[in-house]
Amino acid sequence: MSLRERLGLAHLSDDALVRLWTEGLESAMPLHPHLAACAVCRARLDTLAHWIDSVGDTLRDEADEMLTPDRLASQQAQIARRLEAIDRPARVLAFPKAARAVISGHSNVRRWVTVAAAACLIAGFGLGQVFPVRRAIQQQHVMAPPTLTQPQAQERARVITPEVTSDEELLSDAFTRSHVQTLSALDDMTPHARDIVLNKRNKQYK
Amino acid sequence: MAGPSPSLVAAREADAVAASAVKAMQAAGAQADARERYAELVARHQRRAGRIAYHYLRDAAEADEAVQDAFVKAYQHLGSFREELPFDVWFTRILINGCLDRIKARTRRERWIVPIAVRAAMPGGDGATAERDVTERVAAPGLSPEETLLGRERRREIATALARLPERQRSVFVLSHVEGRTSKEVSALTGLNESTVRVHLFRAIRKLRALLAHDVAGAPGELKGKRRVTS
Repeated sequence: MSLRERLGLAHLSDDALVRLWTEGLESAMPLHPHLAACAVCRARLDTLAHWIDSVGDTLRDEADEMLTPDRLASQQAQIARRLEAIDRPARVLAFPKAARAVISGHSNVRRWVTVAAAACLIAGFGLGQVFPVRRAIQQQHVMAPPTLTQPQAQERARVITPEVTSDEELLSDAFTRSHVQTLSALDDMTPHARDIVLNKRNKQYK
Repeated sequence: MAGPSPSLVAAREADAVAASAVKAMQAAGAQADARERYAELVARHQRRAGRIAYHYLRDAAEADEAVQDAFVKAYQHLGSFREELPFDVWFTRILINGCLDRIKARTRRERWIVPIAVRAAMPGGDGATAERDVTERVAAPGLSPEETLLGRERRREIATALARLPERQRSVFVLSHVEGRTSKEVSALTGLNESTVRVHLFRAIRKLRALLAHDVAGAPGELKGKRRVTS
């Protein structure tokens, strides 16, 4: 507040009015000397008070329109439900018995499964030491090449070597098959690896 | 705002009695009775709580959730409620803290989300969803279309101006002028001392007047900006 305002020589500024109004809200402050004498400033202070009240009312009305009776009722019901849920202990959904037996940390089954697994491991290791199975197999492979009987050898030869004798015959025979022909169109559209490699090499040489 | 009115004092006494009864019932394990008695407190403070939450959050659904959370939290922590403090002050503090937490969470969330207004302005954006404000959808009964429109416009401007105030100034203004709290109560609610509350209130009004300059000018017996009128 300026000296002129303090001395009551000038009208109060708007800020001074706001300050006076804010400070005078609850305390029974003596009226400012200028306000006591100046009807214009008193009127301005009244206008300010009216405007602030109207802003408050507008904001209150706006919120009240949002708070319809239906909304309040449903909110109340929701609060009641939530409070009820607090007092009620949470319901635990039961898992299937087998899964629970394996998963549960307190189950005896789990302990037994662990012990059995450890026992099997130890037993396996011990047996491995007693019977050198791998070495025996290796020796068998080295010492005794597989010997086939005459009919067995003939049978194997028939499986390995079909009627075709050369690669060209094998390929031409394969291309004549119906399902290969249907795929050949697709094969034409697909870039071949060998083409790509050849192209790359050509580029490198260039 | 000249101290609590007799009706407020009576309401506070009733609150204190109800809160003590609920506390005793909770301690005795009579949960159903405690809930029933607590429903009285909920009914008494629900509207006011809704208003405060709405002014903080500016979203009806979120304000609803904040109010629910506050009532549930207050019920759970009623054991720590001290009778020398009015129940509404204690409860409002819980509510305000909840609202502030939500605002913080929202701010974090919105950092990663395109605001609705921007989305509506984008090509192919839905312009209809740009206006989320509930006041846009609520028609005031008994008013002409012009009056309704002007009223809406004014509300929106005031709400926008309020939203532009710094958080503390907004809190103080809402609690003082929308909820009619005394400076002492606002001080208890916000944790600020009384003189700081007055300073925030002064700044809030000054800023609101600057933001709503035309609204102030349009009022009867106008107060023009910050111009000093000299005789």
